Amino acid sequence: MKWLQRHVRPEQVRELSLLLLLVVAVVFFGSLIDGYYTSRTFNRIASSVIIIMVAAVGQTLVVLTRNIDLSVGSLIGCAAYVTGHELGLHPGMHPLVAVLIAMALGAAAGVINGALVTLGRVPSIIVTLGTLAIYRGILVDYSGAKTITTDTLPAWLLNLPQATLATIGNLDLREMVVLALAIVALFQFATTRMNFGRLFYAIGSNPDAAHLVGLPTRRIVFAAFVLSGALAGLAGFMTLARFGTITVDNGRGVELQVVAAVVVGGVNIFGGSGTVVGAMLGAVMIGTLEQSLFRLQINEFWRDALMGLLILLAVASDAVILSRMRALWARTELKLIAKPAPAPASGGAQR
Amino acid sequence: MRNVALTGAVLAALALMPQAASAQEIKPGQAENMVLLPKFLGIAVFDQAHKGAEEAAAELKNPTKLQFLGPTPENSVAGQIEIVTNATTQGVNAIMISNNAGDQIGPAVKAAHDKGITVVSWDSPIPSSEGEDVFVAQVDFKETGKVMADMALKILGDAGGKFAVLSASPDAANQNAWIAAMKDALKDAKYSKLDLVETVYGNDQSELSYNQAVALVDKHPDLKLIMAPTTVGIAAAAKAMQDEKLCDKVKVSGLGLPAEMVAYTMNGCAPAFALWSFVDLGYLSYYTAYALATHAIKPEEGAKFHAGRMGDYTITKDPTRAKGLRILMGPFSVYDKSNVEAAAK
Repeated sequence: MKWLQRHVRPEQVRELSLLLLLVVAVVFFGSLIDGYYTSRTFNRIASSVIIIMVAAVGQTLVVLTRNIDLSVGSLIGCAAYVTGHELGLHPGMHPLVAVLIAMALGAAAGVINGALVTLGRVPSIIVTLGTLAIYRGILVDYSGAKTITTDTLPAWLLNLPQATLATIGNLDLREMVVLALAIVALFQFATTRMNFGRLFYAIGSNPDAAHLVGLPTRRIVFAAFVLSGALAGLAGFMTLARFGTITVDNGRGVELQVVAAVVVGGVNIFGGSGTVVGAMLGAVMIGTLEQSLFRLQINEFWRDALMGLLILLAVASDAVILSRMRALWARTELKLIAKPAPAPASGGAQR
Repeated sequence: MRNVALTGAVLAALALMPQAASAQEIKPGQAENMVLLPKFLGIAVFDQAHKGAEEAAAELKNPTKLQFLGPTPENSVAGQIEIVTNATTQGVNAIMISNNAGDQIGPAVKAAHDKGITVVSWDSPIPSSEGEDVFVAQVDFKETGKVMADMALKILGDAGGKFAVLSASPDAANQNAWIAAMKDALKDAKYSKLDLVETVYGNDQSELSYNQAVALVDKHPDLKLIMAPTTVGIAAAAKAMQDEKLCDKVKVSGLGLPAEMVAYTMNGCAPAFALWSFVDLGYLSYYTAYALATHAIKPEEGAKFHAGRMGDYTITKDPTRAKGLRILMGPFSVYDKSNVEAAAK
């Protein structure tokens, strides 16, 4: 038990249990749906989940600081539409420029969110609920009711969702999936190993203490919103590549899936705990559920209800199970600190 | 006294005559505050209808500017009710609505009608027809069902096979009526090999429609055709089949806009689809509402009027609803490789 407590953190238990749940879900759906265990299912879930995954990484940063960004759904729609529109006007545009347009647009919207939260001192849930509606309204006006259609988009973009880096058996490792995983890895590294990243946790676990010890609280919260915006912009670019047909309706309701992914992935909605990898697993869980429920052709109201139930379970289990585990862990740590002298000796003897 | 009675009789005869004999000319230049209300903003077809209505407004020299008001996509039902209620409070003269709220719009429309506001539905009617003066039908709804059944037969051939319907929202009165009409048409022996396996809903949202299309082919491996009576759904389904490299196996058809479908028709994913002109629909709706609001015609069976460049139209009973009147526009244009490129420009 002590060994377990010393080497495994409660968050990791959380992620392991989520992984287990994922396996249970796959086995469950496999027994209900014919031909579920095929490469097609894998590729389908993989390419549908990455959009939520990328936005969920940004959302994790925001939630860690005890805030929330509800505007991502509209941001994804705006980024997809504007980038598609620009690509239609300038078909020769370099792919990297197109990605940068999408991310810059998202980041700019993130600057507005961040400024209103940090300088305006308005609760983030109010700010982003407002900007969710405002960004969508601007898009409806800007679009002039035109739909972005595939025939105006360059071929490289339309082929991007199918572009495959490597094939293992029948499983395609698609470029966009690799990009999403790379972003998860980058932010997981930054939030666990870099000073800058640890600040998000510090501010979220105790904002007052963080402020008192002189941490740049406002700057970090601001950065979280800008990064969330930029990543939502990237998710918008991925949406454009995947769906091709972009109406002003694009990305509607995605913010709920993104928040759900983050919460189901074990990121505490009150800030300070959870990981980027957890949010990734949460996104995979939600993507798997969604795609599988589609296959079963479950009524969409039930689909939404099931999603809601999952969120409730995740938050409840976080409150009940994890807080007990944390308390247990903390007590043992205190014991270890209380008698430091014999610990190394006996520990050494055992090893 | 005798004089008055005679004048009255002459006047009555004069008033009756033009309606019975020839189409009523509409007097232009009258100030009528009119609202064009689409299902929601941001969809190409409704923008085209707006263009047509503006064209009619310019021809009729209505000094009051046309109001094009619509809800945002996520708020369609509640938004439509709110806009109708606000327009009633403001006391506009006419409301032209493409109903996306089923019969939930009923009380709001009835309140407008009771206040003397002309209510014309277009594109999608009010199912109970309560509070509505007349419905401007783009095409005959029975015919829509038959056109869809015919396209399915043409694509699937004599061998037939399984096909599925990808519709908009379960509340959309027009889509539901077309699907019902198609099911009716399918009863004919000539379509006996066509097997409609399922109807799913993409809520006129590209991503949801795309995912639904993909789920359909996963669920029915021997599916041969997806019929989508919605412009958003058909484009999303065609893109999904193209991405899945299934265009040889699963065809897409339904109601689509040439500009959005041209690429898929040329590469064979969507060999045939149909639609009518939404510009004309907006134009005719405006003429109808203006004629009713200026009392040039009455909302009753047999009333005839002249709608500018589109010619004469007569109000008839609506055969697709229990009660209610309609003006039938028509016709259908069916698009395939031979004509889609010209229409897309």
